Amino acid sequence: MTTGRLAFSSSQVQYDPEGDRTTAVERPSGTADEGMQIRQFVSEAHSRGTRGQAWQDSLASIGIRSDVQPAGLQNFAAASMRGEADGLVLARLTVGAQTLSPLAGRPRLPIVLISRDEAINVTLPLDVLTVEPGSLVILPAASQWQIALQKNVRLIALSVADTLFHGPKTGLQALTMPQHHPPEGFAGIFIKSVEAAALEMDRLSAIEWSCLEDAVADLFFALLLQGERTEVLARPSLAALFHRVTLRLERHLHETELTAGRIARLEGISERYLQKLFEQNGESFSHYVRERRLQRARAALVAPGDIRLPVADVAFTCGFGDAANFSRLFKERFGMPPGAFRTHYTEKASGGAASTDQRGWPVKALASKQPQPRLPAGDVSGEAVSDGTPSRPPTHHRLSVNASTIHWGYFSRGLEPVLEIRSGDTVEIETLTQHASDAPDLMIRGDAAAEDVFAWTPTHKAVDRRGAGPLDASIYGRGAGEGFGVHICTGPIFIKDAEPGDVVEVRIDSMTPRPSRSPGYEGRAFGSSVAAWWGYHYNELLQAPRPRENITIYEIFADDEDAHAQALFSYRWQPQTDPFGVVHNTYDYPGVPVDRSSVEMVSPVLSGVRIPLRPHFGVIAVAPREAYMVDSVPPAYFGGNLDNWRLGAGSVVYLPVSVPGALLSIGDPHATQGDGELAGTAIECSMTGSVTVVLHKKGGRFDDLTYPLIETPTEWVLTGFSHPNYLAEFGAKSQGEVYTKSSLDLAMKDAFRKARRFLMEFQGLSEDEAIALMSAAVDFGVTQVVDGNWGVHAIIRKALFHG
Amino acid sequence: MTRHHLPATPSTVHWGYFSKTLAPVLTIASQDRVVIETITHHANDDAERMITGDPAAEEIFRWTPEEKTMRRRGAGADEGPFTRGSGEGVGVHLLTGPIAIEGAEPGDVIEVRIVDAHPRPSANPAYAGRFFGSNPSANWGFQYNDLIEEPKHREVVTIYELDMTEPATVSALYSYLWTPQTDPDRIVHPTIDYPGVPVDHTTVTRKEGILSGIKVPARLHFGTMGLAPAEADFVSTIPPNYTGGNMDDWRITKGARMYYPVAVAGGLFSVGDAHASQGDSELSGTAVEISLTGEFEFILHKKADLPGTALEGLNHPLLENNEVWSVYGFSYANYLSELGPDHQNEILKRSSLDLAMRDAFRKLRRFLMTVHALSEDEAISLMSVAADFSITQVVDANWGVTGSIRKCVFDR
Repeated sequence: MTTGRLAFSSSQVQYDPEGDRTTAVERPSGTADEGMQIRQFVSEAHSRGTRGQAWQDSLASIGIRSDVQPAGLQNFAAASMRGEADGLVLARLTVGAQTLSPLAGRPRLPIVLISRDEAINVTLPLDVLTVEPGSLVILPAASQWQIALQKNVRLIALSVADTLFHGPKTGLQALTMPQHHPPEGFAGIFIKSVEAAALEMDRLSAIEWSCLEDAVADLFFALLLQGERTEVLARPSLAALFHRVTLRLERHLHETELTAGRIARLEGISERYLQKLFEQNGESFSHYVRERRLQRARAALVAPGDIRLPVADVAFTCGFGDAANFSRLFKERFGMPPGAFRTHYTEKASGGAASTDQRGWPVKALASKQPQPRLPAGDVSGEAVSDGTPSRPPTHHRLSVNASTIHWGYFSRGLEPVLEIRSGDTVEIETLTQHASDAPDLMIRGDAAAEDVFAWTPTHKAVDRRGAGPLDASIYGRGAGEGFGVHICTGPIFIKDAEPGDVVEVRIDSMTPRPSRSPGYEGRAFGSSVAAWWGYHYNELLQAPRPRENITIYEIFADDEDAHAQALFSYRWQPQTDPFGVVHNTYDYPGVPVDRSSVEMVSPVLSGVRIPLRPHFGVIAVAPREAYMVDSVPPAYFGGNLDNWRLGAGSVVYLPVSVPGALLSIGDPHATQGDGELAGTAIECSMTGSVTVVLHKKGGRFDDLTYPLIETPTEWVLTGFSHPNYLAEFGAKSQGEVYTKSSLDLAMKDAFRKARRFLMEFQGLSEDEAIALMSAAVDFGVTQVVDGNWGVHAIIRKALFHG
Repeated sequence: MTRHHLPATPSTVHWGYFSKTLAPVLTIASQDRVVIETITHHANDDAERMITGDPAAEEIFRWTPEEKTMRRRGAGADEGPFTRGSGEGVGVHLLTGPIAIEGAEPGDVIEVRIVDAHPRPSANPAYAGRFFGSNPSANWGFQYNDLIEEPKHREVVTIYELDMTEPATVSALYSYLWTPQTDPDRIVHPTIDYPGVPVDHTTVTRKEGILSGIKVPARLHFGTMGLAPAEADFVSTIPPNYTGGNMDDWRITKGARMYYPVAVAGGLFSVGDAHASQGDSELSGTAVEISLTGEFEFILHKKADLPGTALEGLNHPLLENNEVWSVYGFSYANYLSELGPDHQNEILKRSSLDLAMRDAFRKLRRFLMTVHALSEDEAISLMSVAADFSITQVVDANWGVTGSIRKCVFDR
């Protein structure tokens, strides 16, 4: 692997883990992406037919094989790896149901596995070892083992080459039985270190990585010896003796006149025996001493307390008598002189990003969360509606909105369908915006359905659960569901014969704003846009008071020739006390009725500004498979809160089905939105849509579709996310972590991979053609930066292929 | 109004850098028009189609063991020994200019209207009158570390033909895998690391019949256009910055008006890096690189006249066309001053769309508040519901996000 992506000045060289020096190639342009050293696999990047093989290739670099067939990897899988086979290889893996085993013919290295949130069973020839979450198992090179995974798990895998031990190899050879270490004592420290390393490895420079390699190797070796000692009681092995000698050496490294004879005397063995010990470990005493001194010097150069110590002094404290000689040796070993190394390191060491309050589940709360197998009784809204009685397709259905046909703030595979339809049927579906309560007198009053859904008095709350959080609001106390998810979704709709692996096509035939029924406003339409605390702007407001949330109410003129929205008035959010007496200092729970007398209306606002309409549904989702209760805010492979304004009348979205019947939900209607949805919301406006739903059975044209694909009359719009399947990627803590780990850079990467795959699979291009076409003709845009899982879309014009 | 003509010749072009030290090749008055020839730095990817028979291109690209017409290419070292060549390829674009605008001073704004743009025909009798361009998928492309097929870390050059029959389109002719090329000075280029290296077509294998049936609508535009920055004497053309440069936005085309803050006396405008088409993101590192000739009108807006206009407080490039205003966000709004003395290297390590989005948001907020007199709350609400953010490019070190607001929002 070349290391040329680092933009050192051309005279410098960089340490290459393989031991030879590589000239750092300065590139004429582009990015210095140190991520080059990270190898990534995401199932979404590959077509279904090839991803199994690509997955095997990825696993092979850590010495593991899987029983999935080349075309057999159906579920999400991901791997991030760093390091080379003759050093440290560290991997974060997300693995679905499959069986893992050692790769035949791999180097004779043990593999270390840590399971992050599920117990795994390691089947050995005579035994089955259960490895609890957070524990570690060391699987020797020589042993045969199998791990049969039943469901999605996250693993950390590690392999350490003997070259990293700078001599002592006996520990690796001695290991014949698997070692199992619970996360306690020394093993606990090792596990925590490896976990931290695995999470941070993407961010490490080449030099930081090689420091890490040494540190992990040292800890690992000590752990191996410890394990060995507990098994082979009190028999001081050669390895233990050698280890003791090396420890002794460490204490005397600073002596410039250190000799083998002196160490031998101190250990009470002959100098000849000592030399032999080193030879048996493939080392010489002098080389070993030099290597350890260099390693120590490297650490000392950047040790916080010694950072101002002159290089010559560092050399001296590490046992080098001559500073010039030290500089030469250091450069030979690490690829740059000690001074440059120190400068480079200190430049890299910049502070981490400050985190702010996040939406959705706090990660800490998820850590202690108990599995929630069933929805509490009475929470599922509504029951099967009879107007969808199966008949000859296509049938036209009406799905009106009321408290029994919606679910608020979450998706769940456990919800009872409110309507059953067949492929080809059309549905007129009413949706309500959760922001109607921002101006109840315009958007709720007089509207029986909206009044039903939003009904909330001190004794009665028609829709209690709002969000995927706990019903007892035990985390923040905001209200049932905690507002971990905010959208009012109409549905779910059961699509007959839909099964996992199929694709559901939802065609938006028309969309109409819901007219106000409020006395004095009848027939007019209104929407609300909140510049909310989850908006992109929130932490860097210019004007006081800071921070603040601001709500703008718009009137929607959908029937005009130039359909547009115009702002009516705005107000700053003031603490609102909901009917249960909970005070909402920020907009932290959906549907809290705003008391007009508590806020100050500003009007006119955005005077003279007319915003063209782009009516669309923000949320179109099928139920995800990974979790029972899923926050409606972050979009992902199942659709959800896509917030792409291109998903309006005349457009289609294709969604991969995860559960029988698909369980389609639609909501979060928007009158218009910009690419980015910067302040956190669009113009949120209740609307009624007419949709046609078509089921595409497995094996057809959309067989390779594993993400929401939008088709407009003229374009294909592919949806990229920071984390294409965050539920699988982050495991049990996914619904918290996704909010902390979003990035446009990641979303761009995902959009690129999806566009490449689409062009290769759907249009039959080679990889090189696909890339050339993307550069010349595919437009990438920012979908949203406010929904937890940020979005970048790729727009592929259909006209390209009709030439 | 005077109409000037500025041909591309060895004495009217500079290669790979902006520099306030360059003497203007033309000095004009505000409101003058100039027809400017530009030649793509990728012409040597297929010299037979893009150089042969064209005296100006032949002269500019001349490079033999004895003679190299355009010695310096890039803002890097111009004294050997070289790793890649004089200028070290720190900056790659062949630019025509600079043009000084009389009376322009730091603090002023120069408006550049693109009146027209048309392609430069091949002068090789075998291809006379046809138009060709090149699109390398290069080592600085977004795909480079993320390739699926072998060989990994490959560079592929695709040669395109532009058909100007309405509606104009580009179609691929053939492609080849980059092989190490030895330049006339005997330096080997294992990757595309230096501009204008002649590609020896006996060392590459052409792949025909690629992208068959695909016609990409043409978007003729100038990838690099801007003024000389004040911060350093020689500045790489690759990262776009506050005075413009390598913006790589296909909307910088006929009908567009670009506004640039002036950093040095005369402004010193240069243009080149023309493209036949490009998608938002310029994913593979380049567009369909082609030679274009454009007609430009220059208007100087003096500092004192800016208040109360759309240019008030402008400290970044701004685009206006009939539909939108666009501000350009970068990972670093002025990387030359933000990243210290080693800015040319530092910017390569710090590319980020997240930073560029942040910058675009701030610039658009400022624009709406200053120019359209909105309150901050109005500006933010409007951005959420009516402004579109798109990914300009992820390959020019200082990555770009464009924030656009439609004019029709305000028209009434």
